[in-house]
Amino acid sequence: MTRGGLSRAGVLAVVLAVLPLALPQHWVVSMLVFTVMYAALASSWNLIGGFAGYPSLGHAAFFGFGAYTVALIFPNTHNLSNGLLPFAILPGIAVVAGLIGLPIGAIAMRTRADVFAIVTITLLFVAQTLALNLRSLTGGAQGAGVAVPPFDVANFERPFYYAMAVLLLVAMGAGWYSQRSKIGLSLAAVRADEDKARGIGVHVTGVKLLAFSVSVGITAMIGGVWAYYVDFVYPQFAFDPLITIGMVLMAFLGGRGTLWGPVIGAVVLVPAQQYLAYELGGSQLYLIAYALVFLLIMRFLPRGILPTLTHLRRRRRLIAAADPAPRTAAAELGLAHDGQGGARV
Amino acid sequence: MHTIIQGVILGILTGGVYALMAGGQTLIFGIMKVVNLAQGAMVILSAYLSYTLFTSAGIDPFLAVLITTPAMFCLGVAVQWLFLRQLRREDAAELSILVTFAIALAVEGVLSVVYSTSYRSINASYANTSFTVGGYQVSAVRLYAFLLSVGVLGLLYLLLHRTRFGRAVRATVQNPEAARLLGVEPARIRALGFGLGTATAAAAGSVFGLIYPFNAGSHYDLISQLLSVVVLGGLGSLGGAVVAGVIIGVSSSVVAVAWSPTWSQFTFFVVLLAVLLIRPRGLFGTVLRGAL
Amino acid sequence: MSVLLEVEDLTKRFGGVTAVDGCSFTVDEGTVTALIGPNGSGKTTVFNLVTGCLPADSGAVRFSGREVTGMSPGRLYQRGLSRTFQQARVFPELTVLENLVVAGGWSFAGLFRQRVSRADRVRAAELLDEFRLDRVGDLLAAELSWGQRKLLEFAALLMSDPRLVLLDEPTAGVNPILIETMEAHIRARHAAGTTFLVVEHDMQFVMRLCDPVIVFDRGCPIASGTPEHVQSDPRVLDAYLGE
Repeated sequence: MTRGGLSRAGVLAVVLAVLPLALPQHWVVSMLVFTVMYAALASSWNLIGGFAGYPSLGHAAFFGFGAYTVALIFPNTHNLSNGLLPFAILPGIAVVAGLIGLPIGAIAMRTRADVFAIVTITLLFVAQTLALNLRSLTGGAQGAGVAVPPFDVANFERPFYYAMAVLLLVAMGAGWYSQRSKIGLSLAAVRADEDKARGIGVHVTGVKLLAFSVSVGITAMIGGVWAYYVDFVYPQFAFDPLITIGMVLMAFLGGRGTLWGPVIGAVVLVPAQQYLAYELGGSQLYLIAYALVFLLIMRFLPRGILPTLTHLRRRRRLIAAADPAPRTAAAELGLAHDGQGGARV
Repeated sequence: MHTIIQGVILGILTGGVYALMAGGQTLIFGIMKVVNLAQGAMVILSAYLSYTLFTSAGIDPFLAVLITTPAMFCLGVAVQWLFLRQLRREDAAELSILVTFAIALAVEGVLSVVYSTSYRSINASYANTSFTVGGYQVSAVRLYAFLLSVGVLGLLYLLLHRTRFGRAVRATVQNPEAARLLGVEPARIRALGFGLGTATAAAAGSVFGLIYPFNAGSHYDLISQLLSVVVLGGLGSLGGAVVAGVIIGVSSSVVAVAWSPTWSQFTFFVVLLAVLLIRPRGLFGTVLRGAL
Repeated sequence: MSVLLEVEDLTKRFGGVTAVDGCSFTVDEGTVTALIGPNGSGKTTVFNLVTGCLPADSGAVRFSGREVTGMSPGRLYQRGLSRTFQQARVFPELTVLENLVVAGGWSFAGLFRQRVSRADRVRAAELLDEFRLDRVGDLLAAELSWGQRKLLEFAALLMSDPRLVLLDEPTAGVNPILIETMEAHIRARHAAGTTFLVVEHDMQFVMRLCDPVIVFDRGCPIASGTPEHVQSDPRVLDAYLGE
């Protein structure tokens, strides 16, 4: 299994590396940048929203934090001698964002998911308001320009694409690592029955904060790369609820709590989204399309693509199994699913 | 001092409106344990409806409530029936938040397509009238708005406490299983309850449109403001929402006159965090789920 | 015999209702002590107070000579005091094996070790064998029957080598064959040195297995002693049959 995982990771890395070389048109690479960006965002959201079952609606606050940090450290008056410099500060941004995330996570995750969602979404709007009102620092509604990247025009998108690709691998690496260590085991226990997990000595608070911190840290780095790429940040775009809903939506579509689900979700949705934006023009229609897709997924595919497939496969295998013990278990599936399962008291 | 008292008066009047807006949300939480992030969008939708009725048919926004309320009720029932009903119980709390957020975005999208994104306001003839009481200015619109809010909340209270339907709702809140045994159908109560909560957005929308200029994106501001009111009042407590609405209305308007309107936005977040730190159950609510 | 658990003057009120009222009792090391009483007599509340799931209004709990009042369930678990629930609480999306491993109790640094290490596997394998769960070790807990889940919950907490296990209605809702299985497992573990405190409604089960028996009524013990002794105690008959 580990070998299979490694080879899949290798294939992903190679595909990511080769894609922009194989499809060098500007509009394609630009779309690839956004696809990989959302895959990375959804994967990092998945660390807390999927594995731990705490659906954050405030990740865009950290995305915006990263974006504004890059914009403030490298303003457009700045003359970049080395275009890679803004990428070099990303780990620092991640650490700061992760540290900011600790107290916020500690307050928000004291109780269950609904309060967590309330606090995180409020955080998003507070961050947006701060960006609008701290004019001397952020430039308010006028936005803030970022230093112009001194990259070759012919392959302008490539550095951003590769930066996003590395961040995607980081986010997936974090997910993969957590799943094969006891972090993932603890998070799954937290998601299923937090009180019980606490009662059997699982380090619930520690593991939740760890996941939240890493998750928002990676999100902030992605925001940093995004700001450098789009070259200008405005409060309403850096702290956009649509970014939050985008990452949540993609994780849901592919399957939250799985390693590959968020990537699949992004690969399906981002090109569709870009196409819609291109065809329909105004962002309003795509707002509607987005919301409708989300509602349809929740209505008809609430588990997401991957878990639905896994579930079907598992069921079939259980029923087909010749071994009598699993067959009894399969026969009892009906009983196990009739509402007694996972009693949360 | 004069400005502070002026701020308090304004805050009380505004607080009534917050209470009305949040009342529906807290009701929905109480009945079905759904944190409804679409309430703000429903308020804005209602504001547009009464704007249209006012500009095209000349119907006064306060009268328009009689038309918009049933419409919003039906919309609420439809939303619940289509999107919330079938959520599996074990992750309903988590998913319903996201579903209602998606509904809010859908409403926002539709509104910005139909009305474009420029700001609108409802300019009733009495929009700029104000009374002077003991040296303090009281704007007519805000006073009427306050009275309407109190009236609607009063009706809601009577509905919940004096009618068969209200008893069924309260029974469902306290114990859905027992209520089912007594012949109350929880699924129907949840649909009607969501409709009722959404219907309160109709009056709130008329009032909101009279007081503030608005566009489709205005619901974002309302999300965090309403959540603060609901959490402070205690999720699910109608009385709590009224008290919390006034407290938050007064404190944010005092902050606005004493410092700057910029920071009054933060009053909400500060209140929210303080409540969660000190008293997670809010002023009157039951303990939040999971905090058990 | 030394005292393992000592409950002293424990009180808990819910609003106007006093669920547990100045309750004191002890559990000696090496016993299978039963806690019986009519419905609503406060047995489960006592469980919740002793294991730290609920805060007590007053009173003290001592475990192996040390004051543990108000200690969190996780800490108590690590010290060797663990419990099961009336409705078995297992993690449905984890496999049976993982349900054991997650209950193994590790330090914060242990989080960074392998999800299921070879050592975990070896340790869990004994319990899986003992509870005849080895064939379903790789199934999800959600795929087990109700009774198997009760066995799994019991087996999992043994991963922490507890000194005292509180069982909350171990036979509720399981079939007669499984009741016997459960009884056999408790006996085996008891023989190996684990102390038990059992809340149970099945009187035959209690009389076969437990000694001593503590009888609860209205939030405090009214009698205790051998099964024969409490069975003949008039106060016990009163409590069960009403005045």
